[in-house]
Amino acid sequence: MTENTDIPVMLERDGDPKRTNPLAHVFDELVRFCRSRSLFMLHYCTGCGAIELPPAMTSRFDMERLGIQPMVTPRQADILLVTGYVSVKTLKRIILTYEQMSSPKYVVGICSCTVNGGMYWQSYATAKKLDEYLPVDLYIAGCMPRPEAVIEGMKKLMADIKSGKASNWQDYYRNYDYYLGNQQHLFGDNWQTPTDVVGEARNYALAGPGTTGEHTALLEQYQRPLEPITSHFRIGETVEPGDEQGDG
Amino acid sequence: MSKSIVKWLDNIIADVEGVGYQRKSDRRIRMDVASDTLPTLLELLRGRASYVHLSAITCVDWIEDDEFELVYHLWSYENNTLVSAHTRVPRSPGVYLSVYDIYHPAAFFERDIHEMFGLYFEGSPDMERFILTEWDGPPPMRKDFDAEGWVQRKFNFQDYHPEWLKQLEDEGGGVAIRPEEVRAKKRADKP
Amino acid sequence: MRPENYQAKNHPPSNEYELNFGPNHPGIEGNYALQLKLHGDQIVHARADGGYLHRGFEKLMEGRLWIQNIALVPRICVPDPAPMELCYSLAIEEIGGLEVPERAQWIRVMQLELSRISAHLFTFGGHAATTGMYSNMYWGVADRDIILDLFEELTGGRVYSIYNIPGGVRRDLPEGYLERVSNTMDYIESRLPDYDNLFFTNQVFVNRAKGAGVMDQEQALDWGVTGPNLRATGLAFDVRRDDPYLVYDQLEFDIPTEAAGDAWARTLVRRRELIESIRIVRQVVKALPDIGGPIRCPIPNPLAWTVPAGEAYARVESSKGETCYYVVSDGGDMPYRVHVRGPSSMHAVQVLENLVKGCRIEDVAQIMFSLDACPPEVDR
Repeated sequence: MTENTDIPVMLERDGDPKRTNPLAHVFDELVRFCRSRSLFMLHYCTGCGAIELPPAMTSRFDMERLGIQPMVTPRQADILLVTGYVSVKTLKRIILTYEQMSSPKYVVGICSCTVNGGMYWQSYATAKKLDEYLPVDLYIAGCMPRPEAVIEGMKKLMADIKSGKASNWQDYYRNYDYYLGNQQHLFGDNWQTPTDVVGEARNYALAGPGTTGEHTALLEQYQRPLEPITSHFRIGETVEPGDEQGDG
Repeated sequence: MSKSIVKWLDNIIADVEGVGYQRKSDRRIRMDVASDTLPTLLELLRGRASYVHLSAITCVDWIEDDEFELVYHLWSYENNTLVSAHTRVPRSPGVYLSVYDIYHPAAFFERDIHEMFGLYFEGSPDMERFILTEWDGPPPMRKDFDAEGWVQRKFNFQDYHPEWLKQLEDEGGGVAIRPEEVRAKKRADKP
Repeated sequence: MRPENYQAKNHPPSNEYELNFGPNHPGIEGNYALQLKLHGDQIVHARADGGYLHRGFEKLMEGRLWIQNIALVPRICVPDPAPMELCYSLAIEEIGGLEVPERAQWIRVMQLELSRISAHLFTFGGHAATTGMYSNMYWGVADRDIILDLFEELTGGRVYSIYNIPGGVRRDLPEGYLERVSNTMDYIESRLPDYDNLFFTNQVFVNRAKGAGVMDQEQALDWGVTGPNLRATGLAFDVRRDDPYLVYDQLEFDIPTEAAGDAWARTLVRRRELIESIRIVRQVVKALPDIGGPIRCPIPNPLAWTVPAGEAYARVESSKGETCYYVVSDGGDMPYRVHVRGPSSMHAVQVLENLVKGCRIEDVAQIMFSLDACPPEVDR
C-alpha cells in the first residue's frame, strides 16, 4: 500500500472538528437543506427497474421539480440508483462506480430484488442482499415500483438527508473490512479496485476498528498496480480450446 | 413456391436413408439425423431448398441418456416452413463441428452453448465467453449443476425476524415448517 | 486513489486508441458494453460485451411450475414484454393441445399491438435522444405512458402484465374499455403530425440518420437479421403474415418496407408500422363486442398441472424482430428445457459489431438505438 505520509493532507482532524461559532449548526442545517434539494442521480440503468425511470424523470411524473437530475459521470453524482437486480458482473462495476463517487453519496435500492433477491432468488447469477456489499440508504420495494412510489422514496431520502440521518456513506469507511469480506467471498480473494478506501477513511478521519482487518490484510497481499485492461482485439486470429483469456 | 412443390420435397426427403422425417403441421417439419450427417443436411437445405435463415440452435441436456441433443431451427422465406433438425452428441468428449461456414448466425449460438453447457464447437470463429466472463463454476445449464446449492453457498439472504415472531419464540413457539428445508429435502429425494 | 495507478504512460504519438463504450453510458440502451478501437474519430474494430443483465432464466424456468414461469417470462424483454408471454403460452398450447377460445385470441392481438405501439414510441424517444433531440424523448415517454395506463386497467401491471397464460388470458375486459382504447388510438394518431414535424422530417435528424449503419439485403440475410431491420432492406417478411398465429390471418394490415437499409430507413419502417398497428387495434375494437364466449381454456389444477411429453417451437413477431421459444416437456409439472431466442441475439452482437465498423464515434449510439437492440434479450 502507498504510504499516506507523502500525500499532503489539508487539515489535521482529531475526532469531530471543534466549532467555535455558535451558529455553526445553522450553517450545517443550511448545507443539508441545500444538499437535499439538488441531488444528481447517476444515470446507470443496472437492471429492469430502469424502464420506470424515464417516466419518473420526464414530464408526466417529473422528478426534476424535486431537484433530481440525471448525471452521466459518477464523479459528480450524488445518488447511485441500483434499479433492480444486480448480476454479479454488474455488481463489480457498481462497486467500482460507488467508490469513484465523491462523498457524501447515497445509494438507493429500487425494486424488491435488491432487498432479498426478489424473483430471482434461486438464480446463480444475481446478488441477493445488496447491503452486504454496499451501504444502502433507502429501499423502494415493488416489482417494479410505480413512478409515484419512486418519487415518494426520493422525498423520504430528501427528508433523511435534511435531518442528517442518511449518512451511510460513512459506514463504508467505518466497516470497510466487513464489506470487503463479502465482496471477496463473491468475487474471489484477488478482488481489488483502484480506490484506496483505507487511505480515504484515514483522510476523512472516519477510520475505525472495523476499517482494517483480515480481509484488508488479504487485499494487501494481492495488491498489485492495476494493468490496463487487456485488449480483446485479435483481428484475424482464431482461439484454440483451452486458451481462454479472462479479465484477470 | 406452390404447395405442390413442398409436398414433392416431403416425399423426396422422407425417402432418404438415415433421416427421420416427420411433418408436424402445415409449417413445421421435424428431421432426426445422425451427428456426422448433420452438416451435409444443413448444406443441402441451405443451398438447394432455400432454407437460408437459421433461427436458433438449441442444446438440450439428456443426462439419463448421457447425450446432448442439438436442434437446429431453419426457416425458408420461400416455402414458409420451419425445419427443426435434431441430432444427438455424446456428452463425454463434448466436441462437435461448427456450422459457421454454412450459417453465420451460428457463431452466437455456439458461443452461448459452449459457455452454458460446455460443448465445444470446432471451427467456430470465437469460442470466448460472452455472458459468463467472470464465472468460475461448472457450466451452469447442465442438469448436474445444482443452482440452489450454489446460491446457498455464495449468497446470504436477509435475516427476517419481525416482532411477532420474536414474541412467539419467547412463548415457546416458532417456525414449524421451514420452506428452504422442504425444498432441500425435495431436491435430495429426486432420483 | 492510488497514485501508481494514475501515472502517465509514455506511448509513441498515434491516432489509435481503445475506448470502453461501457455499461455506464447514456448512449447504450440498457446495461451493455462495446469495446471500441478507434483511429481518430472513426471506429476500426468493435467487440460487444454482454452478460451484465444475466439472470439465468433458462435455469430458473426449469425449477418452477409451468404456471409460475408466466411471472418470470415477461422480464426477459423489458420494453416489450407481451410477446414473450405469448410465445411461451403458444409453445405450451402446441405441446399440450390446448384450444384457445376465440375471444381470448382477439384480446391477445389487441394487447400485442398496444405493446408494439408503446415499444416503438419508446424507441423513437431513445433514438432522438442519441442525436440530441431531447424533447422527442419526453414526448415519446409521455405518450407511451397513456398506453401503460390502458395496460394497468386491463392487467393490473403497467409494464409486466402477466396476463397471457397457456390456454387464454386471465381476465375479461373491463366496462367501457374498448371505448378508452379507441380514444387512445385517436389521441396517438393526432400526435403523429407533431412527431413528424419535430423528428421524422427534421432536417437535422435526416442528415444524421441517412447513411448511418447501412446494411444491404444480402448482408442482413447472412447475419440473421429479422423484424423491422430486415424490412428496412427491402424484404417484406413478417411472422404475422407468413407464419400466422392467433387471428392475424383474418386481419388486414400492410407490411411497410424501405430499400436503403440505413438508420433512416429503419426509423421510417417503424413509423409506418405504428400506423399499421393502430389500424389493427381499430379492427379488433370493432370486432370484439360481437365475439363472446370464454376467455380461457380450463386447466384442472394449475399447481399440479402436467403437460404431456413433447416439444414445440413457437415464433412471434415482437416489435424488435422474431422472438422464438423452444419448449421441451418430459411429462412433468416443470419444463425440462426452455430456450429463449430474442431478436437482439443477432442484432446486438454480430450486426452491431459489423455495422459500427467504419462509422464515426458519434454514430455508435444512434446505430444501436436504430437497430433496437435490447440487452436483456441477449443476456437472458
